[in-house]
Amino acid sequence: MHKLIRKLLGKLNIAIALTLAMVMAGGLGGATYVLASSTSNFTQTINAGTLVVDIVDGTSYVTVGSPTMAMSAATFSFACQTKTGSFGTASESIYVSNPDAADNGWAVSLAGTATSSVWASAGTDFDFNDGGGSGCTDTVDAQDTDAVGGQMTVDPSVGTLAIGQCASCVTTNVTKGSSDAFNAVTGPVNTITILTGAAASDDIGDWKLTGVSISQKIPAEQPAASDYNINMVLSIAAS
Amino acid sequence: MQNPSIKKRSMQILVIGLAMLTSAVFASSVFAIEYGGFGGRPAYPRADNPRTESIFVHTLEPGDVQEEGVLTVNNSAERKTMLVYAVDSTPSTGGAFACAQKSETPKDVGAWITLEKGEVTLEPGTNELVPFTIRVPQNASVGEHNGCIVMQEKKEPVKGQSGASLSFRTGLRVAITIPGELERKLEIVGFTVTKKDDGSFLLHPLVKNLGNVSIDADAQVITSYFFGLTHITHGGQYPILRGDISDWNFELKKPFWGGWYRSSFVAEYDANPEAGVGVKSGKTLTRLEGPSVWFWSFPTPVALAIEVIVLLVLAFGGFLFWLSQKRKRWIKENWVFYEIKSGEDIKSLAERFDVSWKLLARVNKLKPPYALKTGQKIKVPPTK
Repeated sequence: MHKLIRKLLGKLNIAIALTLAMVMAGGLGGATYVLASSTSNFTQTINAGTLVVDIVDGTSYVTVGSPTMAMSAATFSFACQTKTGSFGTASESIYVSNPDAADNGWAVSLAGTATSSVWASAGTDFDFNDGGGSGCTDTVDAQDTDAVGGQMTVDPSVGTLAIGQCASCVTTNVTKGSSDAFNAVTGPVNTITILTGAAASDDIGDWKLTGVSISQKIPAEQPAASDYNINMVLSIAAS
Repeated sequence: MQNPSIKKRSMQILVIGLAMLTSAVFASSVFAIEYGGFGGRPAYPRADNPRTESIFVHTLEPGDVQEEGVLTVNNSAERKTMLVYAVDSTPSTGGAFACAQKSETPKDVGAWITLEKGEVTLEPGTNELVPFTIRVPQNASVGEHNGCIVMQEKKEPVKGQSGASLSFRTGLRVAITIPGELERKLEIVGFTVTKKDDGSFLLHPLVKNLGNVSIDADAQVITSYFFGLTHITHGGQYPILRGDISDWNFELKKPFWGGWYRSSFVAEYDANPEAGVGVKSGKTLTRLEGPSVWFWSFPTPVALAIEVIVLLVLAFGGFLFWLSQKRKRWIKENWVFYEIKSGEDIKSLAERFDVSWKLLARVNKLKPPYALKTGQKIKVPPTK
């Protein structure tokens, strides 16, 4: 009898140890355990997924609060100059998430909020979409009503495309856009394609594009100022 | 001998350790980081057209009115206020589909749409239906017209910020086809292959839509080795909007083996009038074959080393073969017949003529046990 009790206690020890281990490991894994009553009703609502484009930290996938296009600093020059930059910092990526919301493909594009947008400052502005004089002088016409020069070029083809959090996804059928310059007059080029997902791209997948190159022509004798700013729109469209 | 209680304790520790490890591994794979975001989806997808799960597709006569709805969704972890608005479509570079900006006055589909609400505020993990009406004007032209329903987060401009700030939005295509004489025609307008600095290549085909409706084209770039075997195929199905030229950048990684390659562009599409946005006619597809481009790629260092070794082996093998052929020819031309005398065998003949017995047997096609009869004639090297 004594031997039997000892044996049962031994088994109980293992059971308690296992339960404790499960609870501890669950805590580490982020799970929450609920002790259910004998009659349990489980309800679960899964909200419909939606096609999304964003700028995220390339490792943690946390949305960047106020994403910017970082441009290298410029100094006053008597000649037209070109400054380069990229989307966010080196660790930030353009992020596309398609949770079965665009099975026939999608496209990510960049545009100014309006064709009349400029790099605005308290002083003299300069343009992002004026192709006049190779981007260095102003062309005034019906499409580009502002009276300042300057042109922005975007080159997604030099970026690095990779899959996101979806380990089983592939970058096949996702293509980077070509280098192009905004031009309100010729073309016109008001929207530049960054990334395109073909119909055969993963229906459920996510991708990140890092290192999209931006260059901006700044007209000669552009006054020095620290407050030049412009608003751009990064769109994703299901097609 | 080990104490049974120590053995039991060791067993318990092992079980606990294994349980913790297993649970931690599985728990972390299930509870992966998830990304939410905000946007929308068509509220009333139709069973007869799977494409309506992603975009709005309608065939409407001039003057028709169509009720529709967009399900706005907030899957982010924050409360979001979204602007919901209709705009025309706009060509993006490369012929990709894009939505015009809110600042642009709509003239086409964007102007035909009236939304019940222009702004929604959603708590995390919630959604809201925004109904809208499409009113096709009487003067709408035959063919496909495109616009977008756009969801954009309402943001107050950040004061004092310098640099280029970004806003994000999600657009859903609204494709309205006005029936009539619909033309579905594509034309390949170019194909280039450009070498990049890292040794890879950019395959860049261009296709123009000459018709009055969008066409889903299956664009394929097939890259083959010099001898015609396919190396890799790039491509996929892309919509080409009416009047647009679509182009794509397919990236070909530097081929391992190097050499001459040929890339050819092929586009297939449904030119039959029964086809539409998300609708296949089921009939034979039209195939367009574009130009082929030959290009040279230098082998990778490893491939080059392998290729050099293979070439050396082949050259040495060729030299040995040439040598053996030369010897065969010399034997044929110079060896003479000799009559076997009594007591001679293949070994004694080999010694006498200073040649290996195996060569003697091979030239005279002798089989084991290589017995020779007196008076038999065999070929031997000429005597000096």
